[in-house]
Amino acid sequence: MKEELETETVQEAGTRRTSDVRFSLHLLRSNPLVVIGIVISVGTLVLSAVSGLLVNPGSWQHYAPQLGLCWNNPVVNWGFKNIFNCGGSVYPLGTDLKGRDLLSMIILAIPTDVEIALEVVASAVVIGVVFGAIAGYAGGLLDELILRLTDVFLSIPVILLALVLVVVLEARGLPVSLSLLTIALVVTWWPVYVRLVRSQVLSEKERPYVESLRAMGASRTRILFLHVIPNSIYPLLVQATLDIGSVILTVSALIFIGLTPNPYYPELGNLVNMGIQHLAIAPWLVIFPGLTIFIISLGFNLLGDGIRDVFDPRLRR
Amino acid sequence: MKLYEYAIRRIVLMVGVLVALSFIMFYLARGLLPPTTALAPFITPRMNDIEKLSLAQSLGVATASCPSFGAFSVQAAGCVVPLWGQYIGWLQQIVSGNWGYTLLPGIAGTQTTWNVFWARFPFTAELAIGASILTILIGFPLGIISATHNNKPPDHASRIIALGGYSLPQFWFAAILQIVFVLYVTLGGSGILPGSGSLSTTCGLCLANIGTIHTYSGMPMLDSLLSGNIPYFWDSLLALILPALVLSITSIGALTRIIRSSMLETLRQDYILLARSKGLKERVIVYKHALRNAVLPAVTISGLLVAFFLGGVVVIEDVFSWPGVGSTAVAAISVVDVNFIELYTLVTALIIVVANLAVDIIYAKVDPRIRYS
Repeated sequence: MKEELETETVQEAGTRRTSDVRFSLHLLRSNPLVVIGIVISVGTLVLSAVSGLLVNPGSWQHYAPQLGLCWNNPVVNWGFKNIFNCGGSVYPLGTDLKGRDLLSMIILAIPTDVEIALEVVASAVVIGVVFGAIAGYAGGLLDELILRLTDVFLSIPVILLALVLVVVLEARGLPVSLSLLTIALVVTWWPVYVRLVRSQVLSEKERPYVESLRAMGASRTRILFLHVIPNSIYPLLVQATLDIGSVILTVSALIFIGLTPNPYYPELGNLVNMGIQHLAIAPWLVIFPGLTIFIISLGFNLLGDGIRDVFDPRLRR
Repeated sequence: MKLYEYAIRRIVLMVGVLVALSFIMFYLARGLLPPTTALAPFITPRMNDIEKLSLAQSLGVATASCPSFGAFSVQAAGCVVPLWGQYIGWLQQIVSGNWGYTLLPGIAGTQTTWNVFWARFPFTAELAIGASILTILIGFPLGIISATHNNKPPDHASRIIALGGYSLPQFWFAAILQIVFVLYVTLGGSGILPGSGSLSTTCGLCLANIGTIHTYSGMPMLDSLLSGNIPYFWDSLLALILPALVLSITSIGALTRIIRSSMLETLRQDYILLARSKGLKERVIVYKHALRNAVLPAVTISGLLVAFFLGGVVVIEDVFSWPGVGSTAVAAISVVDVNFIELYTLVTALIIVVANLAVDIIYAKVDPRIRYS
């Protein structure tokens, strides 16, 4: 019996892995909240990919002030008389100050935020894997140095550091741009991943399989990048999924409090900011763009939370 | 390692972190901007170029051999002290308590940065403390219910509240609350709650005649209680409700999750099984036997909440025009008031680091299984 267990063939290992994946998918599907998360996050990514086909990307610059702040969707009654007239056509989510259809603006804004979030998280993951692996595997002084550096960055409020970076670079003559915001966020976001990867590497490198690899003469880099890191991928995946939501929240908050390249640019935080001055006569301008941020962020959080549960060994027993 | 050795090691590291932090902010704000930025908090309109030059030299920004202020401002060779030297000069200034005058619009040059900061800090502290209390009041029951009804509808509901709060954009949630409580739900012609500021006498529930209070701590609610002025206290409380609610709803998830998991862990222990087999009521088991052992991690996290909120109030204060240090920091950044930004960052970081240390030490004291390393 014991011998049978130890001599698992390649084929059997393959079947075990397939059934493992199938079991994970089953766990994912059986939780309604996770299904909602998958639908929202995949939907968001698809919508971002095709948004340029749905709405003309240049249309945010087409102003029609005579249609500004109007509402003629009969489904929702705001309880007060809208003072502006939309003319003939129906705008499902009303129009903004410049007379642009709010729904189109939201569809145009989603890819802006999603793109920034993906860029920030991807860069932070890369930095985290490299420095976290070095810190965890090398140990000693290098480890201490990297750890203390993450300490420093983790004790600065994210919003504050990003604000200072952008304002100072702006004073140096660099106009506020979305890429500048992205860089500022990467600067503040990487330490979490360094910590995460480091702790994973530390716990993985004590496992017996690493010892046997070492006995077989595998090099340190090979063990690290081909075995240890792939085995630490799930916590990384969970954190990255959750962080897509957080980055979208942070980026829209930063743009909301004034780090905007153009006050009329279609970005979700920007749209809320634009609407806030007309809160009393056009509440839809604030409600719908913010609701979009909320739904997208919730989707990625539900998904990340679900993945965490699925790969929780206590649940798999 | 003994506890005090551990504490000393941590404090040394803490000082290192703060120094590094101040250098990073210094580098960002001063290293990337022209050297004349350094003079802004100390300059007066009547200064001539000779006085400006000697000021720059006394601040350690201009070299002693620099011939004129003009040469300094165009950064002529050998006129500007290298950044490291400038940092040392700056450090000497702030260690001796000289933070210079504020550059904030409206009060620029009339008040010192130090005074402005500490006059506004109590407002932020009040908001952070209020939000922490609210978070604990909502978060604890939610976490316990979630654990005792594991994987049943109440658990799912509490999970949705936790995750939903975590996913809410603070600035938007704030605006929605303002729409509801200031525009739609009205009483006597105005919204029932004030939508901005730390004190309002014109909202629906607010009292109009509130008199004055004596300033003890700078926190309006505490001071009004100490002065025995209940109407003033009531109005301050009303103003605190919306911002504190936004802060706590958006961060309740962390607390709930920790309580839930530690409660679940405790409920799996053998002594709980024993209590059940003795035939104790489920309520007694949960609230008397399990809860006491499960709350330790949650209590320490609650201690961190205040520190966390102190650093996380920038956006909320901005939206609610709350007169604390967070909204002031946004204003300070836009006029590149380096000293205010430094003071804000250092105080916030210091509170966070000290709170972390305190939690670790208390934890180690309470739980003998924990080893320091």
